[in-house]
Amino acid sequence: MQTESLKKRRRNITIAILCVITGLLFALPLLGLSVYFMHTLIGVFIWIIVANSLRLLGLSGQGSIGHAAFMAIGAYTSAILAKFLGWSPWITMPIGVLVTVIVGFLVAVPFTRVRGIYFTMVSLFFGIGVLAINQVFNKWTGGYSGIISIPRLFAYVKNPYYYFCLALMVVCLLIMYRLEHSRIGLTWKAVAQSYSVASSIGINEAWQRILCLGVSCTFAAIAGVAYAHYYVILTQETFSFNTSINVFVYMTVGGAGLFAGPIAGTAVLLIIPEMLRDLREYVPFVYAAILLIVLFLMPQGLAGLPAQLWQLIRRPAKAKLTTSDDKAGKRAP
Amino acid sequence: MNMILTSTVNGLVLSAIYILVALGFGLQLSIMGIFNFAHGAVYMIGAYVTYGLSVALGLNQWVSLLISVILVGASGLFLEKFCFRPFQNKPTHMIVMAIALIMILETIVEVTLGGVTRALPAFVPGIFKAGSISVDNERVLAFAIGAVLLAAMTFLIQKTKIGQQMLAVAQDAEGAALQGIDTHRIAATATVIACATAALSGSLMATIFSMNPFMGDNILLKAIQVVILSGIGSIGGILVGGLIMGFLNAFLPVFINASVGEVITILIVLGILLVRPKGLFGYELF
Repeated sequence: MQTESLKKRRRNITIAILCVITGLLFALPLLGLSVYFMHTLIGVFIWIIVANSLRLLGLSGQGSIGHAAFMAIGAYTSAILAKFLGWSPWITMPIGVLVTVIVGFLVAVPFTRVRGIYFTMVSLFFGIGVLAINQVFNKWTGGYSGIISIPRLFAYVKNPYYYFCLALMVVCLLIMYRLEHSRIGLTWKAVAQSYSVASSIGINEAWQRILCLGVSCTFAAIAGVAYAHYYVILTQETFSFNTSINVFVYMTVGGAGLFAGPIAGTAVLLIIPEMLRDLREYVPFVYAAILLIVLFLMPQGLAGLPAQLWQLIRRPAKAKLTTSDDKAGKRAP
Repeated sequence: MNMILTSTVNGLVLSAIYILVALGFGLQLSIMGIFNFAHGAVYMIGAYVTYGLSVALGLNQWVSLLISVILVGASGLFLEKFCFRPFQNKPTHMIVMAIALIMILETIVEVTLGGVTRALPAFVPGIFKAGSISVDNERVLAFAIGAVLLAAMTFLIQKTKIGQQMLAVAQDAEGAALQGIDTHRIAATATVIACATAALSGSLMATIFSMNPFMGDNILLKAIQVVILSGIGSIGGILVGGLIMGFLNAFLPVFINASVGEVITILIVLGILLVRPKGLFGYELF
């Protein structure tokens, strides 16, 4: 009974903190945010959507290192329609997302044949394959040099973009959170834990994995179209293998086990190198240092840090005990 | 006709390099079960160490190649112990570790030498002529070294005790440990071999093409393609996979279009993965 009320209180506190953070983010432009930092934050919002959609895909046990390909399909579709047919971005953006969803569901069908590390490799080659196809149609996509001067959503001011991307991120995150904690999310987790057990209790494993990929690539495409009409330039490098890997790193460094993980990872890994940009070519060292610190000192990722610290402060003796237990557990196979 | 012959020779040379790089990647994958995405960076470092010793310090080029192979190979011991072993059972963390390694290595080279494209002088300058075809000696050398090393690796794995131990660990690490095989020692050996072959092939490639801090990225993808084509855990299959990939990459850009050739290659790899996830010659690893 007591734990129940404690849980409720903790939940209320979390909701309150989240509301304050969101309110602050919405109020920041009014408080005199520099245009440069606003630009950085818009990028952070877009990549948070992608990183969280990657985590959503991971819920059903499908780790992908080709997720930027879905962004690319959405972004290029929308950009080409808007630029060469002259349609309004407000129409082409939903079309881009729709095309990506169709492609996502179509490729998900053969992808259900492979699981685990084999799925990861298939996703890798899917990502490279999309880029190679992009090269073949270089008449429209521009090949290596890419598309430039894609029509903008708003005129040359940052504020509307800031609010648009922030609102988009909040809505996407809310939907993804509800999805994860709904029956569908639980089903996906069951599939990830053991597909044979999941099938034996009447879960259609293949369909659930197709659904998960379809939903996940929807969010990636939403981020992709937002990217295309904000940065107004798409090149071969924008959605390359490196991008997919970077998104994967954001998710893992933040902590793939927690919903807040990809958010924390993206924010830290995008903002800190940006703040230290005076170091110029030494910035990758800072980035690598963050990765190494998280890898060796924070097993739960950045988002798990508060819990880790709390345990250390509150019950040092007990914390020590659990760590030694962990070690003992690790030694036994 | 001439074009076909030239492409065949090019295909053989490309295959030799792909096989050398893929062999290291495949060894680490089958023995430790890790995806070492940093393998391309090690390949790049090998080329740069050879460059630094021979061009900057003025050592004999063959000696500097030897020193580079030994140095980079020895660094494999460090990599295995501190970078790979802690993350052996955490594939996601291993990917992040590899990214951190790539960033550190590429940035070190970029900061010290700059991101410009450089060329390593040829080991044996000149052109090799046989009938109607002519190839530069460098490519012949790359093929010869590749073939010799491949034969040596096959001998090592098939005939020696440590090779048999490697196969045992690749098949079942726990079972191998129960038989008294020191799995960590085997993993360290595999990493040293992988790093040494990567350094060697990087130096050879740097003489044929050019070198820059990011030269490892492309070859890494090719190595992964070869390993997947041939199958995880199959070391003999890498020979066949490397030949297929080498010839596809030598013929398709010449006879069709380079970008269409790329799509065809990817489609072949994707198709094989989807129809036969374990690859042409592999067995199910996980």
